[in-house]
Amino acid sequence: MNAIEIRNLKKNFGIKRALSDLDLTVPEGSIYGLIGENGCGKTTTEKIICGLLGADGGSVKLFGKSHTDEETRAKIGALIEAPGCFPNLSVWNNMMIQADNLGIENAEEEVVKILKTVRMEGAAGNKYKNCSLGMKQRIGIAMALLGNPELLILDEPLNGLDADGMRIMREILTDLTQKGECSVLISSHILGELEKIATHYGIMRNGKIIREMTARELEENCRTYVAVRAGDMSQTKTLLELRYMHTDESEDGYLRVYDAFSPEDVVSYLYKNGITVTEIKSDKIGLEEYYIDLMSEVSK
Amino acid sequence: MTKEISFKSPGFSQRIKSMLGVDFYRLFHTPMFYIFLAIAAIIPAMIIGTGGMKNAQTGEISPQLYTNVWHIIAATKPLYVVSDISQYANMNMVFIFGGIMVSVFVGHDYKSGYVKQLFTTHSKKQDYMISKTVTCAFAIVCMCITYLLGAVLAGLLKGLSFEVNYASLFLAILGKMAMSLGWASLYTFLNVIFRKYFGISIASSFFLGTGILIIGAASIMGNSSSLNIFLYGSSVYACLSSSVQTLVTCIGCSMLWTFIYNVAGSVILSKSDVY
Repeated sequence: MNAIEIRNLKKNFGIKRALSDLDLTVPEGSIYGLIGENGCGKTTTEKIICGLLGADGGSVKLFGKSHTDEETRAKIGALIEAPGCFPNLSVWNNMMIQADNLGIENAEEEVVKILKTVRMEGAAGNKYKNCSLGMKQRIGIAMALLGNPELLILDEPLNGLDADGMRIMREILTDLTQKGECSVLISSHILGELEKIATHYGIMRNGKIIREMTARELEENCRTYVAVRAGDMSQTKTLLELRYMHTDESEDGYLRVYDAFSPEDVVSYLYKNGITVTEIKSDKIGLEEYYIDLMSEVSK
Repeated sequence: MTKEISFKSPGFSQRIKSMLGVDFYRLFHTPMFYIFLAIAAIIPAMIIGTGGMKNAQTGEISPQLYTNVWHIIAATKPLYVVSDISQYANMNMVFIFGGIMVSVFVGHDYKSGYVKQLFTTHSKKQDYMISKTVTCAFAIVCMCITYLLGAVLAGLLKGLSFEVNYASLFLAILGKMAMSLGWASLYTFLNVIFRKYFGISIASSFFLGTGILIIGAASIMGNSSSLNIFLYGSSVYACLSSSVQTLVTCIGCSMLWTFIYNVAGSVILSKSDVY
C-alpha cells in the first residue's frame, strides 16, 4: 500500500496555475524527498494533502483512502512552513495544546518523551517567542511527532537547524522509517542533507513532478567522474578534451573527466604528455548536481 | 511492507472536550481577555462617574445621563430606534467590545498558524465553530458581569437610585447573557469569512455589533417587535420591563442564529482553503 498516492492533482490560485496534473507516489515506510525551485508547488501539494487547501481536480489518497477521511487524517503529523504555536505560551504549553487537540491520553508523558527526542527538554519552560529559529524548528518537528503519526509531512524542516539539529533530524526520521512505523514526505532545499536520508525522490517544476525515482535509481543515474588538479590547468584541459568525450571544470577548480576508466588511466595519460598531476580523486555526482543538471536540461 | 494500519477517530464528545479545554486554557492565558474585562467594567463606571461633574475652567456642570443605575444596564422599554443616547448606551455595548475581543482571539488562530495544526489532524470544522462560539460566549458573559459590577460600584459611589423591578432586571440581564452566544457565533462567523483579512474582521464585527443595521431598519419600519428575530433586536428587547417571554425570545433568537452561523461557518471552512 502507498502512504500517499496523488493523481492528476490540479490547483489554481485565481488565474495562476499552482499545480497541473501532478502525480506523486510515496510508498509506505519510505522517506520521500520533494525537491523543486521556489514557487514550484511543493508547499501547495503538502497543504492539499493536509486538508488545508482544497484541490481543483485530481485525487489524493492516504493509505488507500481519500485524504479528506477524518480517520485517516488523524494519523498525519505535519510541519508546514512554521509551527502554529502561540508566542506568549511556553514550549511545554504549546506542546500540551497540540497533545490535547490530538486527544492523547497520557499527554504529559508523551510530551516529555518527544521533547527529549528533539533535545528540547531543557527549553520546555521557555516562552515560544523567545526561542531561536532552530529551536522553533525543533518544536515544530516535535509537534508533528506527537501522537505517533503514520505519515509525516515536513515542509522545509531543515531550515534554521544547526549541525546537531540536522543530525538529530536524520536520526529521528531514519529510526521511524526503519522501524516501519512511519512514512515521510519531506521537502527541502538542503539537498546534501536530504540525500543522506531520502529513499525516494520527486523533482517538481511548474506544478508538476518531472521525475520520480528511488535513491538507488538516483545513484545509477549519477555519473562517476575523476577530478584532477595539475600544474598547468589550461594545457591539462586541452589534453583531457582531446582524449575524453565528457570533461568540464567544476566550481571548486578541478577538471572533471566523466566516464574515465580509472584515475590511474587519467594520471598515466597526462604523465605521458608531460603533465604532473598534483591532486586526483574519484567521485560521483550528488543529488544537488543531478538536480541542477536536470533543471538546466528541462529549461532548454 | 505489509503492516496493517488501523485508524481510530475520537468521538464528538471527546473532540469537543479537548478543543474546549484548549480554547478555555488559551482564553485564561490571554492578557487581552482581562483587558477587555477591565474595559467592560470601566466604561459604565466612566459614563456614570463623569455625569454631573463640574468643568473647572467654565464652571459648567455636565449633564447627568443616568439617575438610576439600572438604566445603564438595560433600557426601560425596547426602543429599537435611537432617539436618546441613554436608551442606547447600556449593556448592549458589551457586544461591541465583545466583537473586537472575539476578532482578536479567533484572528490569532490564523495569525499564529494554529489552525494548520488543528485542521491537519482530526478536528472537524464544526467542532472549531462550536468551540470558538462557546468560549467567546463565555468571555462575553464575563464582560457582562464586569460591566454590571462596574456600573453598580460607580452607582453606589455616585449615589444613584437603585429602584427597579428586580425580577425584570434579573430577566433582562439573563436575556442579554443569553444573547452572548448568538453574538459570539456571529463574530466567529465573520472571522471565518474574513480570516485572511484581520482588519476587516475587526471592522465588520464592530460595525454589526453597534446594531446599526437594525437601528436603520427600525427607523423605516418603526418600533416593530418583528425586529426581535435579529440579534440586536432581541438584545434591545431584554430591557427593564422584561418578562419570562423576553428571556425565552432571547434564548430562542440566540440559539437560532448560533445554529445558522455555525452551520454556515462550517460549510465555508469545509469548502474553501483553510490556510
